[in-house]
Amino acid sequence: MASLDVTDAARRPFTGRRVRFGDLVLQSVAGFAALGALVLVGLIAWKVIQGARLSISTFGISFVWHVAWDPVHNQFGAGSFLFGTVVTSVAALVIATPIAIGIAVFLSELAPRGIRGPVTALVETLAAIPSVVIGLWGLLVLAPLLRDHVDPALHRSLGFVPLFGPASYGSNVFTAIVVLTIMILPIIASISRELFLGVPSELKEGALGLGTTRWEMIRGVVFPYTRGGVAAAMILGFGRAIGEAIAVALVIGGFTGISVNFFNPGNTLASQMAQNYAGLQTAVATSSLLYLGLILLVFSILVNLFAQFIVRRAARRQGLAR
Amino acid sequence: MPRSGKLVRITLALAAAGLVATLAVVMAGAASAKSSSGSVNGAGSTFVQPLVAKWENPVQSALGISLNYNGVGSTGGVSAITQKQVDFGASDAPLSQFNPTCTTCVQIPWALAGTGVIYNLGSLQHLKMSGSVLAQIYLGKITKWNAPAIQKLNKGTNLPGTSIRVVHRSDGSGTSFNFTDYLSHVSHTWKSQVGTGTSVAWPAGEGVPKSAGVAGAVRTSPGAIGYVDVYYAVHNHLGLMAMKNRSGKFVLPKAKGILAAAQLDTHPAKDGSLSIVNPPKSKKYRNAYPISTYTYVDVQKSSGNAANIKKVLNWAITKGQSYGPALIFVPLPKAVVTFDKKQIKKIHS
Repeated sequence: MASLDVTDAARRPFTGRRVRFGDLVLQSVAGFAALGALVLVGLIAWKVIQGARLSISTFGISFVWHVAWDPVHNQFGAGSFLFGTVVTSVAALVIATPIAIGIAVFLSELAPRGIRGPVTALVETLAAIPSVVIGLWGLLVLAPLLRDHVDPALHRSLGFVPLFGPASYGSNVFTAIVVLTIMILPIIASISRELFLGVPSELKEGALGLGTTRWEMIRGVVFPYTRGGVAAAMILGFGRAIGEAIAVALVIGGFTGISVNFFNPGNTLASQMAQNYAGLQTAVATSSLLYLGLILLVFSILVNLFAQFIVRRAARRQGLAR
Repeated sequence: MPRSGKLVRITLALAAAGLVATLAVVMAGAASAKSSSGSVNGAGSTFVQPLVAKWENPVQSALGISLNYNGVGSTGGVSAITQKQVDFGASDAPLSQFNPTCTTCVQIPWALAGTGVIYNLGSLQHLKMSGSVLAQIYLGKITKWNAPAIQKLNKGTNLPGTSIRVVHRSDGSGTSFNFTDYLSHVSHTWKSQVGTGTSVAWPAGEGVPKSAGVAGAVRTSPGAIGYVDVYYAVHNHLGLMAMKNRSGKFVLPKAKGILAAAQLDTHPAKDGSLSIVNPPKSKKYRNAYPISTYTYVDVQKSSGNAANIKKVLNWAITKGQSYGPALIFVPLPKAVVTFDKKQIKKIHS
């Protein structure tokens, strides 16, 4: 455990002793960089709040759940967009997680060596595709395909569930969910793969030595060992999904209102902002757009904090277990 | 750590190469910009975009000015000129519709065209449509193509029983303004429930961005209906509705019909706006296409680039109009050109 001592020494604060010039420079440069990040976040939050002030004073807190976006009659609310954001992100997470974990298990435990490298690279390439490219592909290729083949089939077989109602439009909530799934899949998959690879081989070999099957080993050793990390990866993917603007704006269909049918057009906080970024007719409408931004900002921060909480709790548990 | 050292060196080399390439491009760009006498940059309406795009080359060769246009939508154009980010903004909705608006701008009607109602029903061309039925379709009350109201307008045509897919703009759009303005004129329900605006609370349908997006969505969706500048309709080989005007005639958005509608208002208001939507029943407007519109260019009265802007605008309202008919933009009536020249004189440096 020599490596532990090294990190401990490095973490010791620079107190007492004589202050060396080089250390001072390092500390101030790094400190300023950290301060810069803090100032930047503060400025962004301040500007968003300032821009949203008119809307906040006009509509108050009820804006958050009020379902309306009518620039002609000056009625604005975030309700339907908040609903759309939660529905699309949760659904994308539910679809993406099992697939991503499957990919990660395959790449870390099961795949032959020759396949691992190329497939890992491909999964990571998927994460690097710009969202506007995925959005355009979604609009031009995916949406017509889903509309003509997948949506009607789902409606026919699962139509008794209200989520799969009659399908008519190519740009709809379901298309957005599929696009988001594709976007968050590589994030969850590549982080989970790293985590699975990090499981000590003594533990895995020990389990296999006791006569477990591969699946029992993965379920009994790999999953419990990496639970906290995988949860954090899921939340990271969730965070990406709630903030995705352009790709969703291109395929979701821009409809204000709450509908349980996945095959109806809808909208999310981020996509509503992306669709109207160029400006609206009145000052209060533009201000309401920034109010949406503020809600999204708060929502993202909450998700982030929740992720940190989960990671810490998992780390503590693991510490106790050892 | 020899490997990471190598990596750093490779990264640095790549970064340096990138920097050199960027510099080369910037210098080349600066050099080519110098060869012409200047540039005029604009942003806004996608309705007028096909025409402005057509102007770029002749403006360069006739005036030596490079004209650059970014189709960001009418509301984007108005906010860009209000904040002086561009030399001109283009909008299909008059400035008076915006609040806050550009109070230091002159508004110049610089093109005349029609908003086409497009649809995708295979080989069925030139269906007949009335304003009130169109409003009911966009209100989500008529949902099938063989609904009695549509069948009544198209006696003898075998209409399919497919669902109507309503397509509208999802971004702030001057085309939406004209379209909803027309629907408000022909339907009380539309006027009270939805109203007129560059973006409205659409009661039905799917929203897609930009004119090209609407045309694309209609082209790829059987049974779809949408609205765009006529050029996009013709360019995409889409079905075009013959709209019933108040004289009871069904008119296609062609030069003759748009010109007839333009007779409704040939003398712009003090702010430069003109309204020619849904002309009344009269012999004069017998052939009028009811969703015709002027579209505007908005310029700051005081601009550092005034000389170039004035040159381009004077060219656009005179010689530039001759490029219109191929794109189904109708040359401006004389009275409007005279008014525009006066407006352009107000621009100074």
